[in-house]
Amino acid sequence: MKRIAMIAALLAVCIPAAAQFGGIDLGKAFDIGKKAMKAQEATKELSQEDEIELGNALTASFLGAAPLHADANLQRYVNRVGRWVALHSDRPDLPWIFSVIDTETINAFAMPGGSVIVSSGLLKRLASESELAGVLAHEIAHVVKRHQVTAMQSSMKADFFKSIGTEVASDRIGGRGGVAGQMVKPFALDMAGNLIKDGFFLRPLDRSMEYEADQMAIVIATRSGYNPFGLVAALQMLAQYKGDADAASVFSTHPPAGERIGELEKFMPTVERYATQPELEGRFKQVVGAAK
Amino acid sequence: MARMNFRFLVAAFLLALSWAAWGQEQAFTNRSTELKERGAAEAGTLATLPENTEVKVIQRGGGWTQVEAGGKKGWVRVFHLRFPATAETSSSSGGGLSSLTSAFGFGRKTSQQTTIATTGIRGLSPEDLKNASPDTAALAKAQSFRADKPAAERFARDGKLAAVTIEYKEYKEGARR
Repeated sequence: MKRIAMIAALLAVCIPAAAQFGGIDLGKAFDIGKKAMKAQEATKELSQEDEIELGNALTASFLGAAPLHADANLQRYVNRVGRWVALHSDRPDLPWIFSVIDTETINAFAMPGGSVIVSSGLLKRLASESELAGVLAHEIAHVVKRHQVTAMQSSMKADFFKSIGTEVASDRIGGRGGVAGQMVKPFALDMAGNLIKDGFFLRPLDRSMEYEADQMAIVIATRSGYNPFGLVAALQMLAQYKGDADAASVFSTHPPAGERIGELEKFMPTVERYATQPELEGRFKQVVGAAK
Repeated sequence: MARMNFRFLVAAFLLALSWAAWGQEQAFTNRSTELKERGAAEAGTLATLPENTEVKVIQRGGGWTQVEAGGKKGWVRVFHLRFPATAETSSSSGGGLSSLTSAFGFGRKTSQQTTIATTGIRGLSPEDLKNASPDTAALAKAQSFRADKPAAERFARDGKLAAVTIEYKEYKEGARR
């Protein structure tokens, strides 16, 4: 658990240090890193900045595997829904970004730091903006609660962090930068690369995290003025699909939709009075239906 | 000629009908529940549906779903329905989002349409996601679509979305009442 924080602290310090002095005093950089490690150990988590960097790197990698959907209107629309919903979460000021990927696979993903990915396969099976808001609010809740970071910390192996440190150090010594380095910090790319090989995108989160994200999603979507039942309708749609061998889909990484609906039922009476809030079926159909 | 047109129309009509029936969602009651005249607890009761009654979903409306059961149309509580897993999640089929604009329906009804589409986008495989390498140009493009706060607020106003105050605590405690 501590190691990720230690390495992050080390990297956060040694990269700027090396950059600033153009320098290769590795020993000095590591000494600074060690001091920072202790400070970071106390908080036992990635800083928000590191989380965002890591999220960028993971998103870049994800988009390397699945292309962005070509329809700019669709991308803007999903970003507006998502940002409006995120404004009603406990981390409204993250650099939220929502990307639609062009794939039949039904799924949505959340990266640390506020990047959410939703598949066109899922979008085209939804029926209204309130359903989309519910789905995005679920992913937003994972980010708000740092569920992915927690999962990473518990799944990583000790020697894994060691390798990141050396890779980044040698990267800097060699003066290698490249286009990627300008946009996404090398430490984040290295970390993301190792996480992905380790199956980060395929590993389910704890059930308790999924249920927590569902419950929070209802509240966040309701606060945003949407009909609270959007997520329930989306889950009822998912329940109609036979889970298949496609391990990249929502069916292999989430508890069965029927069980999620059952969990939500306990909490719904509180929000029933908001059930007259809009579903915005028309606006959703207009944009999603027009997307090529 | 006119005759041919007529036949064509009949055929098209029949196709539309059967497609509509095919696309309709099937559900079962997951407990004994009341079929209401409207989607409201205080509305009149049309019938009591025993557990496992088969219904056809007509439309959703918040906490209630309009269904047809045994020739009667009415509303049941959304949580009193169970949806059987009958649709395939074929990752090799699909006609893109534009297939949504079909005259026969929209949204989830197209789940059946995807099974008959011949061309489409390949699904994402676990290998794709394990062997992914970063595409920073795609990231930059994705970031260009980002909505700032004022844009999101304008968008909400256009949709007549009014923010309300509700706390997580309030929500959870309400459940225990």
